[in-house]
Amino acid sequence: MMDAPTTDRWIRRLNLLQLVLAGIIIMTPTVWMVLSSLKPSFEVTAYPPTLVFTPTLDNYVELTKTTPFLSYALNSLIVTIGSTALGLLFGIPAAFTVSWTRISWPAILTLAARMAPGTLFLLPWYVMFRQIGMIGSYTALILSHAVITLPIVIWVLLPSFDGIPRSVFEAAQVDGCSVTRILWRIALPLVASGIAVSAILAFVFSWNYFLFALVLSNGDSKTLIAAAFNFIGEGSTQWGALMAAATLIALPPLVLAALVQRWLVSGLTLGAVKG
Amino acid sequence: MSDAAATLTHDRQRLELSALSAPAVVFTVAMIAFPVIYTVWLGFQSFSSTGKQSYVGLANYARLVSDHEFWHGLWVTIALYVLSLALQLVLGVWLALVLFHAKRLPGIVRSLFISPFMMPPVVAGMMWLVILDPSLGAANYILQSLGLPPSEWLASPTWVIPTVALIDTWQWTPYVALIVLGGLQSLPPSVYEAAQIDGASPFKTFQRITLPLLLPTIVTAAILRSVDLLRFFDIIYITTQGGPGNASNTLNIYGFRVGFEFFNIGYASALMLTLTAIVFGAVLACNRLRGAVAW
Repeated sequence: MMDAPTTDRWIRRLNLLQLVLAGIIIMTPTVWMVLSSLKPSFEVTAYPPTLVFTPTLDNYVELTKTTPFLSYALNSLIVTIGSTALGLLFGIPAAFTVSWTRISWPAILTLAARMAPGTLFLLPWYVMFRQIGMIGSYTALILSHAVITLPIVIWVLLPSFDGIPRSVFEAAQVDGCSVTRILWRIALPLVASGIAVSAILAFVFSWNYFLFALVLSNGDSKTLIAAAFNFIGEGSTQWGALMAAATLIALPPLVLAALVQRWLVSGLTLGAVKG
Repeated sequence: MSDAAATLTHDRQRLELSALSAPAVVFTVAMIAFPVIYTVWLGFQSFSSTGKQSYVGLANYARLVSDHEFWHGLWVTIALYVLSLALQLVLGVWLALVLFHAKRLPGIVRSLFISPFMMPPVVAGMMWLVILDPSLGAANYILQSLGLPPSEWLASPTWVIPTVALIDTWQWTPYVALIVLGGLQSLPPSVYEAAQIDGASPFKTFQRITLPLLLPTIVTAAILRSVDLLRFFDIIYITTQGGPGNASNTLNIYGFRVGFEFFNIGYASALMLTLTAIVFGAVLACNRLRGAVAW
């Protein structure tokens, strides 16, 4: 029979083995995507697939030359930054008020909206926006994507505002501070990190969102995600360019998520789990 | 301060608070509440090909009951939901336990683990489309090198649902794991120590102590996944558009196509309201369950 420290060491090794196995399963598809994007075009579709090749950026060059990739990227940036800014602008004071008054129905309504299937809103929006000729406009896209960002901002910031001791606000009120001033001068600096996390999460989910832009954008305002469909359609053998597009589209959210990975989980569950 | 002055400050405060929440409230009413009410109204309308609309009462809902495509979509939605949720919860709890026992996780490892669900589902669909290609994909090459028969994956009416479930499981299991990990880390260490003193085996400890204590967290993860899984859209729309045939035509995909490919806005509204009711029903049921397993 083995003694306790030896058993312990084996359990630890077994655990590490499982961790590595999980890591490989999680990482392989992404690595394969990046590798495929760097392969010379004749090697992307080689069968059996090759692992050793001379990396090239040809696919990326091809992508920017043959498709309006850069203008799609610009559209994505405009819509994402616009909707994130709108989410923060509306969401920060709303979260503060909900935390202050304990009147929570606005927060709950935005959460319910986040749970409903997007098509539920898309149908009436389409009819409404078409009537006022706003299909394809940045305004329509930014407004629709703000439905994604607003609940994220409110629900990530609520616990942060709740965490500020009430005595801090009361002391400021005794000194004659108005509510707006308390939010601006006292509460905001205290929840700065929460605002950063909510902004990044809002950016990521707005960037990743597919459905709304699929219908509300047109040729000129198409976002990268909505255009992804076109890249697939443009010939099934153009895998190199397709994987180059996929890699570039995934890059901004992945880089941003890596920056805030430590604080991400509590934010992602919209307050359902205290992380 | 006199009473009058106090009331004045109080009124002023209320006014200020209203003003602060006003933009979000107005936005929510204009972009969420009003459109949903409008959808309810649209669900009672019929639009002809010339764009003329007429009130048809419950005709759209009557059509729904006798529509094979609807029942098929409901079946696909539920099959995909049950399969994906089961896979993600089982694998997620396993991965959470592995991460929990690894103690210290460097930031880079954590970043790698969250990368699947932080990337757009559309990108996940694009990359798996290439990997799972029936004739040139890497997945079939691996199967064949192991002496297994190749699969048609997304191109097979039989395998398309399990395949889509696998893609979604790849993407969201780490998310479930991180939620469950949070639950594990908040469990009191004393219960393990007591079990150890009693000489319980690791498996018994997990089955009798960890799992029951963890159930509320697992149900929370199930709620968060249910919301996404019941309205499954992105990956299917990118990879199969509901095909082959209608084998992966979920209710959300079906409703979208009825609305924006066939421009039957009235019927699509009825479909989407039904799907929304299903999603909220599932969330409420899970919430009940969470109450039952709370400790």
